[in-house]
Amino acid sequence: MIRAMKEIVTDHIHNITQIFKLAKADLIKTYRGAALGWWWAVIKPCMTLFTYWFAFSYGFRSGKPVEGVPFFLWMAVGITPWFYMSEMLSQGTESIRKYKYMVTKMKFPVSIIPTFVSVSKMMVNLVLFLIVMILFWCWGFAPSIYYLQIPFYVLMSFLFFTLWAQFASLMAAISQDFANLVKSFITPIFWLSGILWRTDNFTGSVWIRRFLNLNPVTFLTSGFRDALIFNKWFWETPKKCLYFACWLVVLWVLSLWAYKRLRKDIPDVL
Amino acid sequence: MQEKTVIRFSDVSKVYYLYKSSKQRLMGTLFHHAKCKTNRAVDHLSFEIHQGEAVAFLGRNGAGKSTILKMVTEVAFPTEGEIYVDGRVGALLELAAGFDPEFTGRENIYLKGHILGLHDKEIAALEEDIVAFAELGDYIDQPVRTYSSGMKARLGFSINVNIRPDILIVDEALSVGDEEFKRKCVSRINQLLTNEHMTLMFVTHAVGVAREFCSRGIVMNKGRAIFDGPIDEAIARYDQLIGKK
Ligand SMILES: Nc1ncnc2c1ncn2[C@@H]1O[C@H](COP(=O)(O)OP(=O)(O)OP(=O)(O)O)[C@@H](O)[C@H]1O
Ligand SMILES: [Mg+2]
Repeated sequence: MIRAMKEIVTDHIHNITQIFKLAKADLIKTYRGAALGWWWAVIKPCMTLFTYWFAFSYGFRSGKPVEGVPFFLWMAVGITPWFYMSEMLSQGTESIRKYKYMVTKMKFPVSIIPTFVSVSKMMVNLVLFLIVMILFWCWGFAPSIYYLQIPFYVLMSFLFFTLWAQFASLMAAISQDFANLVKSFITPIFWLSGILWRTDNFTGSVWIRRFLNLNPVTFLTSGFRDALIFNKWFWETPKKCLYFACWLVVLWVLSLWAYKRLRKDIPDVL
Repeated sequence: MQEKTVIRFSDVSKVYYLYKSSKQRLMGTLFHHAKCKTNRAVDHLSFEIHQGEAVAFLGRNGAGKSTILKMVTEVAFPTEGEIYVDGRVGALLELAAGFDPEFTGRENIYLKGHILGLHDKEIAALEEDIVAFAELGDYIDQPVRTYSSGMKARLGFSINVNIRPDILIVDEALSVGDEEFKRKCVSRINQLLTNEHMTLMFVTHAVGVAREFCSRGIVMNKGRAIFDGPIDEAIARYDQLIGKK
């Protein structure tokens, strides 16, 4: 385990510039070759956002302002980080498979593949989040001191999903079943994470509510909302932070374990 | 004078595990709990290669030649035994040289350079030579997925000889090139061998090409080296193995 950790850390340190260059290449690859190119990075999320907004406001008739903030903005804050998360759950999981030529045809530090894919997805997401913040401003909600937490939540979200991809991409490289399993969980996670509704308002059993609040995705999305809408600091809910830290540790151990077990077998099975 | 050893295999074995299904493979690799067949692709192999040597690996299909080259490149890892490799390895494994099909040839040159840890400036300095050697014409700015296999081999070979590796590994990559390109490669490799003191590991089924620059041959059969010595004797042994008179 210690050896695996040392290997992963030194690979990242030695290849830090490569990570950014490969992330850039990944971005170029994703958005080039379409007439609208880079616009798709914005168009696709906007479509999703408007669809949900429409369904909730006119379909379910539940689009009431939250804390004086229009429902549309409230939703945008939650759903924008989710775009990164869902990309990581689907493509982060498949990252090694996608870049298999780097594994089977040359000597390459495999552990940086999930990382540079994560960096690439995060870049797009930061732009989207910036747009959301500008929207807030246009609507007349000036930035507050609580915005200072945004980098913290961005970092947490990056850490969590990069560790996730470190673990999952190795597993998915060994078994396509694992990749399919993860994919089938994306939609449930989305609906059970308080991205589109407030888990605090859940009126059923306390246990289910606790379970929903333990979900790391809930922690992250509600964190972004605390920063932009509810004006709360993350240290006001230390318990939730602790839960999240536990998640990070679990993922970290899992990723080391997967690396140790699978690193040497990956090129043989791809 | 004896040159220093750059590659050493000490009692190396490579076992491939063949599982019946993807589920069994997952269980097997994670928990070592599933039954499976095994295939010993390389069987207790030991040899040393010195700097400046050009070694040809000969053998029938499935003899384990590619597996050896992969282990030197660190793309496959030995199940038992130890491998020592000293120097930068440039590898052309089994035709495809590891290009991103969506990127153009030129972009792939940069990508490859970045992966090797070169700076943009260093790559730009090599770019011209690489493009000139590959002779791809306008295709150098087209996506690699539009290349023919010979064109891929040209680009791969061109990149790998121009980054000045200490050890060059070529696995059948020349067999898809045309005669003219083959000649060009042979003379380039010979030049690198004599001037730069590069080490070469070469796999081919065309023994004629092997004879052109290799001085030593290792004949493989079912994962074992059944002959290791001067190239002419190795070729004779190989011909005998495949039943050619
Ligand atoms: N990834 C793999 N998984 C399972 N078995 C493998 C794998 N790669 C190679 N093998 C097996 O290992 C043996 C040696 O393969 P290898 O590719 O080294 O042969 P080779 O000498 O290069 O043959 P050829 O002349 O056809 O290229 C073969 O029996 C092959 O089936
Ligand atoms: Mg082969």
